[in-house]
Amino acid sequence: MRHVLEGSHAVSEAVRLARAQVISAYPITPQTHIVEQLSEYCANGTLNARFLRVESEHSALAALIGAASSGVRTFTATSSQGLALMHELLHWASGARLPIVMAQVNRAMAPGWNIWADQTDSLAQRDTGWVQFYCENGQEVLDTTIQAFRLAEWVNLPVMVNLDAFFLSHTYEPVDVPDQKSVDSFLPPYKPRFQLDLANPCAFNQLAPPNIYMEMRHNIQMAMDEAFTFFEQMEEEFGTILGRRHGAVEAIRCDDAEVILITSGTVTSTSRQVVAKLREKGEKVGLLKIKLFRPFPLNLLRELTKPASKIAVIDRNFSFGASGIFAQEVKAALCNFPGHPPVYGYVAGLGGRDITTEVIEDIYWLTKNSTAPENESSWVGLREVDHAVGQS
Amino acid sequence: MQLDNLNREHMCSGHVGCPGCGAALAMRFLLKALGNKTIMIIPACCWSIIAGPYPQSTLKIPVLHSAFETGGAVASGVRAAHDIKGDTETTVVTWAGDGGTFDIGFQALSGAVERNENFIYVCYDNEAYMNTGVQRSSSTPYGAWTTTTPGQHWKRLRKKNIVEALVAHRIPYAATASIAFPEDLMRKAKKAKDMAGSRFIHIFSSCPTGWGMPSEMSVKIARMAVQTTIFPLYEVEDGLRYTINYTPKGYLVNEYFRLQGRFKHLTEEDLESIQEMVDEDWNLLLRKAGVALETS
Amino acid sequence: MAAQQTPTNRTPLLIPCSYLTTEGNKTGSWRFLRPRYEEKTSPCSAACPAGEDIGRVEMLTAQGSFKEAWETVMMENPFPGVCGRVCYHPCEQQCNRKEFDEPVAIHSLERFLADTASRYELQLSLQKLESKKQKIAIVGSGPSGLAAGYFLTLLGYQADIFEALPEPGGVLRWGIPLYRLPLSILNREIAQIRELGVQIHCGKSISQEFWRGGKSEYDAIFLGCGHSRSVPLKISGEDLAGVKDGLQFLADIRRGEVSALDGTAAVIGGGNTAVDTARSAARFGAKVILIYRRRRQDMPAFAEEVEMALEEGVELWELQTPVNIAAQDGDFVVTLQHMHVIGKDGQRKARVKPDSNKKKKIRVQHLFKAVGTEASETWYEPPKKTRGMLRLSNCVLLHKSREPTLVYGGDLVADIKSVAHAVASGKQAAIALDILFHEGLDAVRPRLQSCLVAEGPSISWETYIGGPRSLRNQRVVRYSDLNTDYFQFAPMMIQPRLLPEERFQSFAEINLKIGASLAIREAERCFNCGLCNQCDNCQLFCPEIAVTRDNNPRGRHINYDYCKGCGLCVVECPRNAMILEEELLCDTS
Repeated sequence: MRHVLEGSHAVSEAVRLARAQVISAYPITPQTHIVEQLSEYCANGTLNARFLRVESEHSALAALIGAASSGVRTFTATSSQGLALMHELLHWASGARLPIVMAQVNRAMAPGWNIWADQTDSLAQRDTGWVQFYCENGQEVLDTTIQAFRLAEWVNLPVMVNLDAFFLSHTYEPVDVPDQKSVDSFLPPYKPRFQLDLANPCAFNQLAPPNIYMEMRHNIQMAMDEAFTFFEQMEEEFGTILGRRHGAVEAIRCDDAEVILITSGTVTSTSRQVVAKLREKGEKVGLLKIKLFRPFPLNLLRELTKPASKIAVIDRNFSFGASGIFAQEVKAALCNFPGHPPVYGYVAGLGGRDITTEVIEDIYWLTKNSTAPENESSWVGLREVDHAVGQS
Repeated sequence: MQLDNLNREHMCSGHVGCPGCGAALAMRFLLKALGNKTIMIIPACCWSIIAGPYPQSTLKIPVLHSAFETGGAVASGVRAAHDIKGDTETTVVTWAGDGGTFDIGFQALSGAVERNENFIYVCYDNEAYMNTGVQRSSSTPYGAWTTTTPGQHWKRLRKKNIVEALVAHRIPYAATASIAFPEDLMRKAKKAKDMAGSRFIHIFSSCPTGWGMPSEMSVKIARMAVQTTIFPLYEVEDGLRYTINYTPKGYLVNEYFRLQGRFKHLTEEDLESIQEMVDEDWNLLLRKAGVALETS
Repeated sequence: MAAQQTPTNRTPLLIPCSYLTTEGNKTGSWRFLRPRYEEKTSPCSAACPAGEDIGRVEMLTAQGSFKEAWETVMMENPFPGVCGRVCYHPCEQQCNRKEFDEPVAIHSLERFLADTASRYELQLSLQKLESKKQKIAIVGSGPSGLAAGYFLTLLGYQADIFEALPEPGGVLRWGIPLYRLPLSILNREIAQIRELGVQIHCGKSISQEFWRGGKSEYDAIFLGCGHSRSVPLKISGEDLAGVKDGLQFLADIRRGEVSALDGTAAVIGGGNTAVDTARSAARFGAKVILIYRRRRQDMPAFAEEVEMALEEGVELWELQTPVNIAAQDGDFVVTLQHMHVIGKDGQRKARVKPDSNKKKKIRVQHLFKAVGTEASETWYEPPKKTRGMLRLSNCVLLHKSREPTLVYGGDLVADIKSVAHAVASGKQAAIALDILFHEGLDAVRPRLQSCLVAEGPSISWETYIGGPRSLRNQRVVRYSDLNTDYFQFAPMMIQPRLLPEERFQSFAEINLKIGASLAIREAERCFNCGLCNQCDNCQLFCPEIAVTRDNNPRGRHINYDYCKGCGLCVVECPRNAMILEEELLCDTS
């Protein structure tokens, strides 16, 4: 049934439908609507789950590590500073191979305090061993969150579903909320491969000396590889049951595109308009949305960008001293691929600044008119700053 | 003592604790009292090592090793998961050192007990970061040498009174125990097991390696800590009702300090002022126990 | 709904998860010190002249195993009933518990065990060793002779005791007043010795001719005839009619030949005979003055006896020595010279000399001399130094080729004349003869050395015959060796007694019986120094779970595969029944 939901509540509905058993969270704007709704569901019995109102994000994830180790389905949500506080335990969750699902609202890192959209928070956690999704709209958020449980529990890796602050978390859209039966059919009750068990007592996460640690790490990478293939199979199933597919990446008019724009998150929706408008004008432009960031869809990317002569990556994030993070990833994906197109990196919309159709169009023209990328990344829309202001 | 499982062991030989390890004894006693329907969460501490490396475990119960500061939180999650699965019987225990309790894990512990999570938190206290090589913690007592309070820069600050901090949360049960008083320790563990809500047991666990004393003195020194009232044995119910379990015969602190290398730099004057502090703390405890008696 | 199309080739998990115990780690390889169970010697048993295994006796008593406790005493001393009454119990002086609160009432407990054995008519189940061909004659049936007979019989020898008097017992029968030692007790313990097979021939004096010239059928002769002749005062008037000998007086009482004593009686002397004489005289109605040349603390009599004498109204005149006795109208006038202390004689006694001419006279109706005794025949004494003579701690052995071996024992050779020493003498003589017969004279001393209770001189029968006690270390446990944290303060039991006013009404036994519960409580006070009482601390405090209970006699063993040698078990053993030794690096066991 279609409902008008804000992105946050799309997450809440998905978690309800997934029948999460232990939820643990600490409030942070703009994540609060997700957990408020779930708290309500737990309180009124809509969802049979224990909701732990812990004293920090760190404890939120720690509690889920305990719960997931006990063989139940777990969920948390956070954002920005909260995610950063969880950092240590992000590694722990993946190292312990726990299928924890997290909704992560992309918000800028302080200082100065900024609660608006920015992906640097979650991208800074790219090496923690979590599967990462970046969603474009409310429907995708709902569907991906349900899928996240299935994927996590199959490959025994934690999954992070990212959604942009406010642009997605607080924006109301029509969303099809599937019925419980369909979701149950897609997502059966969790059958843990291991758990704390009185009947079979063993110790988890103990000292792993050099003679075995590396193999354990390699096993995580094997799970990441498996996550990619499983994701595709799972989407097939999801499509069969619920009639929708989103894909690890989505290519829009890339077949004959000379310039391909690469985006993630809500900027994709804006870019769709720009691409449609430019195509009307006869420009050979395509759009590639990357939804699955970890594992990174290397082969898909190589395949889909083949026709293009230029690639423009729009990053609402930045790795200081290097470049936009998606741009880095795209370059890394292509560099061993002979004759690949040059990659232009653009940084835009940090800290919630609007990435308007004009900004995207500018990026297209800048790319089209350039002979070669001049910088690792170009900052788009930087304003003149009066450096005298605020100085003594 | 009426403990059915006293003869059972839930721990194996071959663990890798130092000779004379108080923490190993503390674990052994605790598990005798709690039995094998126990799940144990062990945040980073000496026991992360003692329990044995992959693929071994010295404990015959399910164990979840966890990050240093997560003792309270991980246990909350384990409890929640078992509850939602319908298992409210299993005892969930966090077993943490003093660093993981007094310092880095204090927030998660405070959070968990404020929520009155239904679990037992046990702190085995060896009064410094022993696993990392004897660095001071907020549990390190006044006067002690550690590798981070070296030479004449020995710790001139008091040990944090963790039990009183827990008592301030008004939890159902908080108690001290000592490896030198196994019956008292096991009685408290059993009592805690039969209660609900957050329960805290603080076990004095001597460390021959870190305290600079012969391994065979481990229990003796723990006993002296009780006898001198440096570490009194008592329990507090609902944050109100104090019971002192052992009335010492008035030993002076002097001999306790003289037997340990970590205190060898202390002068007679230092020891006198330490004696005053110990007396002051003991009198404070007596007053609390007395007040509780009047109001109960 | 569509069926789950889940792939089957799922990647196997490799997670940090245990599937083994740590028992594969043989952490015993870390050890450089090795704990071991080793029982040691309690100071009480080292102090007991008879070498009784007191620590073990009290452990058994505390457990309520009274028969075993009694037999454990009987293994070293056939006279628990006697010694439980008349022994001066040096054991209690050395009791480690003395430093904690008060010593254990070992003396009372010994008596309790004997009384219990008597009450329930317990039969001794000690096994005699196989019969030997040698026969031994014993002269005198005092405690040393009876003990010699007892131990020789246990060793498999035939022992014949010859007693000049009509009944056996020597000083026990004739010298110790009934209020200290009732006859029934003595009779029972002598009967037990007889039942074992010892022949006692009463009314048979033995002359020196008995063994001279190889005429004897005996392979050895034990001389335990004691000191029965009083030492003279060597002053004028001591041979006046009516001046009595203390020892003789005590024997007369036992024969029923003493009636009421009117007036004042003076007893001269400071030993046990003097005190016994004084207290007995008091019981016959006399006002008694005990006259001693040194001070009270110098008296050789047992302090407790002196104290009771005073309680019973005996007056003690210290630093007075008689210099003349005169008869006057049927009374005696004794001139006393006042003495004063001029220094110390040896460890205890004061050295005294007459204090110028300070003299006084005392008129008394009865006068008793009790300043010491000596052997009644000179040949009872061992010769000075001869070939084949071996002076041992409690007896003297004289080995001759054509004559039976002579052993001089009991008071004849004792420095301290006590029943416990007499028992020690008889035991030592029996063991020495056994060694002599089997291994020759040269082996006697070293073999005896090996069955010392501690550094000496007490020896243990059980150790000699290779019983469990022989495994014990002879090292004596000192108070500082104990872990007294495991003991609670508890005062020593108070031995119930007749009131002083009740006592001198009759010769009824002064010390009363105690019940089993009081005995158990008192025995529980015993630290059992050096002995394992199965308290299980070693098992409880092992961080390695390397102490395991099992069926061996000790009840447990140390698993050296895992023992890291921390030593906690040794320190936490309350009783010092374990030791920690350096690990032998090349030990292949």
